[in-house]
Amino acid sequence: MKCGIEIHQRLATERKLFCSCLAHPSEEKPVGEVVRKQIAVAGELGEVDLAALHEYSRNRMYNYQIFPEATCLVELDEEPPHELNREALEIAIEICLLLNSRVVDEVQVMRKTVIDGSNTSGFQRTAIIGVGGFIETSRGKVGVQTICLEEESAGIVEERDGSITYRLDRLGIPLVEIATAAEIKDAKHAREVAERIGTLLRITGKVQRGIGTIRQDINISIPDGARVEVKGAQELGLIEKIIEKEVERQKKLLKIKKELQGRFANKLEKPNFVDVTDLFRDTTCRFIKKALDEGEAVLAMKLEKFAGLLGEELYENRRFGTELSDYAVAKAGVGGIIHSDEKLEKYGINEDDEKAVRSRVKAEKEDAFVIVVGKKEVCEKALEAVYERALKAFEGPQKEVRKVLPDGGTAYMRPMPGSARLYPETDVPPIRIEKELVEKIRKKLPETPEERERKLTKILNPELARKIIVSENYHLFEKIVNELKIDPKVVATTLEETLVSLRREGAPVENLNENKLMELFIEYKCGKFVKAAIPEILRYLSKNPTESVSYAVEKLKIERMGERELKEIVEKKRKEGKKGRELIEEIMREYRLRVDAGELSRLVGY
Amino acid sequence: MYSKKIQDKLKLLGVEVGDAVKVRRGEEVYEGILMPKSELGDPDTIVIKLQNGYSIGLRFEGLEIEKVGKHKEIAFKSSERKMKHEAGKPSLSIISTGGTVASRVDYTTGGVYASYSPADLVAAVPELEQFNIDSKLLFSMMSEDMTPQHWKEIAKAVYRELKGEASGVVVTHGTDTMHFTTAALSFMLKNLNKPVVLTGAQRSSDRGSSDSFMNLLCAAHFATKSDVAEVSLVMHGSSSDDFCYAHRGTKVRKLHTSKRDAFKSVNDEPLAKVFPDGKIEVINKNYRRRSDSEVSLDDKLEERVALIKVYPGMAPEIFDFYLEKKFRGIVIEGTGLGHVPTTIEKYSLIPKIKEATNAGIPVCITSQCIFGRVHEFVYANLRKEYEAGAIFCGDMLPEVAYVKLMHVLAHSKNLEEVRKMMLTNLAGELNEKTPVFE
Repeated sequence: MKCGIEIHQRLATERKLFCSCLAHPSEEKPVGEVVRKQIAVAGELGEVDLAALHEYSRNRMYNYQIFPEATCLVELDEEPPHELNREALEIAIEICLLLNSRVVDEVQVMRKTVIDGSNTSGFQRTAIIGVGGFIETSRGKVGVQTICLEEESAGIVEERDGSITYRLDRLGIPLVEIATAAEIKDAKHAREVAERIGTLLRITGKVQRGIGTIRQDINISIPDGARVEVKGAQELGLIEKIIEKEVERQKKLLKIKKELQGRFANKLEKPNFVDVTDLFRDTTCRFIKKALDEGEAVLAMKLEKFAGLLGEELYENRRFGTELSDYAVAKAGVGGIIHSDEKLEKYGINEDDEKAVRSRVKAEKEDAFVIVVGKKEVCEKALEAVYERALKAFEGPQKEVRKVLPDGGTAYMRPMPGSARLYPETDVPPIRIEKELVEKIRKKLPETPEERERKLTKILNPELARKIIVSENYHLFEKIVNELKIDPKVVATTLEETLVSLRREGAPVENLNENKLMELFIEYKCGKFVKAAIPEILRYLSKNPTESVSYAVEKLKIERMGERELKEIVEKKRKEGKKGRELIEEIMREYRLRVDAGELSRLVGY
Repeated sequence: MYSKKIQDKLKLLGVEVGDAVKVRRGEEVYEGILMPKSELGDPDTIVIKLQNGYSIGLRFEGLEIEKVGKHKEIAFKSSERKMKHEAGKPSLSIISTGGTVASRVDYTTGGVYASYSPADLVAAVPELEQFNIDSKLLFSMMSEDMTPQHWKEIAKAVYRELKGEASGVVVTHGTDTMHFTTAALSFMLKNLNKPVVLTGAQRSSDRGSSDSFMNLLCAAHFATKSDVAEVSLVMHGSSSDDFCYAHRGTKVRKLHTSKRDAFKSVNDEPLAKVFPDGKIEVINKNYRRRSDSEVSLDDKLEERVALIKVYPGMAPEIFDFYLEKKFRGIVIEGTGLGHVPTTIEKYSLIPKIKEATNAGIPVCITSQCIFGRVHEFVYANLRKEYEAGAIFCGDMLPEVAYVKLMHVLAHSKNLEEVRKMMLTNLAGELNEKTPVFE
């Protein structure tokens, strides 16, 4: 098996890559929409890109939602791009250095043709920043071929009736794309490589976090198979499954190829598309009935000598028939196909209907047939696509782009794009990278994850250490520990555990910025409250972010208990006959948020 | 352009732009195609297009370059497809003059440049199959370079097409000065019998999102199907790809640097809404209808006309330059209702207007407000301007007044006749009534 991965990571810059819109997805509602269409055009070398042509053949309309803070005329493709964001460029250079890559001398911004509508311009702006790097893994070095800085695409909102709605707040957020060499050994190794790169990205503290901010694409091929690009794995946990299933799928397709070669002396003739609408006038199949009521048609065709093959399982729960169906879905926009290797009763199609179709398309026992439902011209397009895919089965696995399904399986998306899709972005002049800049960034590189680990395992338990190493709060953690000399465990617990559990219970912890957290630890250092009070204070402050820490402590009545008061309470409890551990436990039960357990045990002398 | 040093070295090695090369620097090896250098890049950095399609820049110093493969011509492949005419389809003439609508990336200048043949446009917009198309390439130029001489050439070419069988004529044109050209054609083509439609693009047609495809299609529909025998300009009606507006050629102006719907009708309603599926909704019922009238070409122009913009602190001596250079007419883009600096002697244009008028040189007044009409009596200063001999041009756009004055002066140098013609509606450039909504 040959395997390489591409990691797409959004950068945590303030502004977008080519305009001054905010680089965070908007929380607001869209204020308007524009509607556009896109067309396949010739690339720089005068060739129309195959993938682009494929999208055009679908003839779709695109709606783009406008968000005022995160959309200007640049995202709308109504104004040329502004200068490339320097902050993003410097982060990309930092990532190049962390991945042992050579930074190019002059950045050439390119246009990568994409007309699935995910970019209003019809291309994505992208540039190689670094080449020829590597990472160390438990199974040796893995090459990092290229590191690109590019625009994030627009986010998809919904897709229906041949039109797609995208949101423009996401379009143009800076993104790095890291492509490894096809040197990954197996599925498990792929996961390790993805995790390793993910860790390196996070220790910069300059990448976005959360759902959708990092995505993996996986390139896989097996001997005699074909290179397949699987797009958009968001969970690391899926990577192994995706690879295992894809390897299995390609093996099965090779088996089907062999089987077909045995069955056919000549090539598969193109079958007639037969209108069988009349056979379904009294059907018990609900979705066909509904379609016929709306004036749609049912078309069928024979697939000569394909009986049994469509039902062949490629991997668990995916049959070869579904591959044919994917083509029809992607190229014609139908919901799917029905084929003769399925149990047709499940659709409510009875045996008589089945026989009637079989006889109408003149399919013998060794032949399969396919039925599609929809507008007549759509059905014709769909059958055309099914025939095209059936023909390709004679060649084995196809070079193509596939999308990830929730179970780690994949479905056909579009043909593999060629190099014709890239041409220069002449609206942005080439950017010369001075050696001095690279050296300046090199001097400020963060420690490696291993260095951090070595340092932290001395002062924290391993679990907490692992969390803080890749945390976006790492720099704050260091600052608090170094400047205020507070117990690292208290700081790490607060930043990595308390905040997380508060978020889970629904407290708006995004209101707690770095300054607020710093203020909290300064007051803690001054002895204003005990560590058990921290969650209460943070919960309150998250809801009242304009109030000061000391005001919050007073308001919550959880100031640390003074020595005199504590002594009085201890005396009182002693008079009640309490002593030792029992005494401490009772006081802690009553005054947990105000009493420091260490101080109390010293006082009690237990 | 690469620096002389690089060019010499490449020549010595027999390596040309477009060659497959292998480039080495120590351990580093890069393979790809040697690309031309954009004018904005560092001339001492070479650009290689790698096999994955990306280009990177590498400092030339210390590089070893070796030619490893075939040469690839870096140019757009023009379509050589011949268009067959079929009975029953409307016929259409397309005259291409260049501009963004017909532009491609150019590697030497680093910008977009005209390099498409009209047949390529036809290949790019499959919907144009519904027309029988005759296409001619007149110029390949950006419209900022157009001169009155080019307007004449375009008028001649259009005139020839109008004499033919086509149901209408489409001219593709750069957008920057397209409204000057529509004005010029409006005055030069008399007794129009068919639609003459100019169109262009704000996004170059090398990108999938280009507005050129829909603009061209809507222009073709309007030229062949509409009843409007005038010179019009068809461009996007909104930021969406939903419809185009057809604007009257003398009542339209580019009002945005980059948006698709940059063109707006000024002091007039658009003629019609045109949809890509061919539907036409007439908005302005006041237009010249198709007929069998005998179209004539009147392409005489007096080119020594100046367009002067008024601004605070401007030096009145600018007039002296034009008068010395024997200019025959002046259009002023005044402020507000048509004001020029009047009261402060040092800055007053009134003496200059008097001087020009006395010398038989008409001075026409328009407004830089763009929207609305000028007025000669509302304020005392306006009256002084009028008394000095200035011709107030109603609701005429400054650019249109400039073109019209060239046309008028080519027919008469008599000041009174010029005044009369300037204030007579020749091609829809003057409206008695100003619309309430813009």
